[in-house]
Amino acid sequence: MRFMMITKEHQQPSSDAMPDAKGAATMMKYMESLEKAGVLLAFDGLRSAAMGAQVSFSGEKPVVTDGPFSEAKEVIGGYWMIQVNSKEEAIAWAKRCPAFPDFAIEIRQVVEFSDFPAEVQEAAALYPKLKARCRDRSRA
Amino acid sequence: MRFMMLMIPKGYEKAKAGGMPDAKVVAEMMRYNKSLQQAGVLLALDGLHPPSMGARISFSGGEPLVTDGPFSEAKEVIGGYWMIQVRSKQEAIEWACRCPGSEEFVIEIRQVQEMADFPPDVQQAAAGFPELQLGRGPA
Repeated sequence: MRFMMITKEHQQPSSDAMPDAKGAATMMKYMESLEKAGVLLAFDGLRSAAMGAQVSFSGEKPVVTDGPFSEAKEVIGGYWMIQVNSKEEAIAWAKRCPAFPDFAIEIRQVVEFSDFPAEVQEAAALYPKLKARCRDRSRA
Repeated sequence: MRFMMLMIPKGYEKAKAGGMPDAKVVAEMMRYNKSLQQAGVLLALDGLHPPSMGARISFSGGEPLVTDGPFSEAKEVIGGYWMIQVRSKQEAIEWACRCPGSEEFVIEIRQVQEMADFPPDVQQAAAGFPELQLGRGPA
């Protein structure tokens, strides 16, 4: 089963929260343990919300707003994608994450093609091929 | 430059486990996904099951606290994402604007950190772990 472990943090609106070297080293050790256990599929950090944008769709035309987003209390800092046997295993890995101040991890199960019923699989028939092509592309 | 487009469907924080999307809606979304792929910008995509099938771990001092989903305080959650490679934030915004859907949703666009973005001492810390290429993205 695949799970995304998504980090949630309270970011200063205008700062680009970059890790310091000590924090990075601690985090790298954690990721190394995920890698050595054979569960780590992917990971990325995200630049600040201030550098981002939001597009809202609520009827007519999409509305674009540049970051930061004043209503947001928590922003996503990054994610790890892991492959494990159960949600409990995913939780156990998340609990081992080095703690930074005021930070949380949201664990979400990733949808697999086989999760869909037949009629949805038919509508989404291209999905497995798209996924396969993505992997080829990111290795290029 | 890499960007994540995070799909935030209104009300998904309350969605029940096992709910299935409409085949017509899926077909329309697949056309969009295909256009991203054909343009050569699509690096990765995934859908996420609702929070009722997930959990949250809070770190605020002592022991990490585990809460099973759904999360009562959450006002918005991610339903899925695309990772794209484009030349500018504006290009990412243009792609997001093309996303189909008749329900209410928001797409949050966030730039992905690359190794070169990190200060030199952080890059050095990361260099000690060659098997973990920072910024390698989804497999």
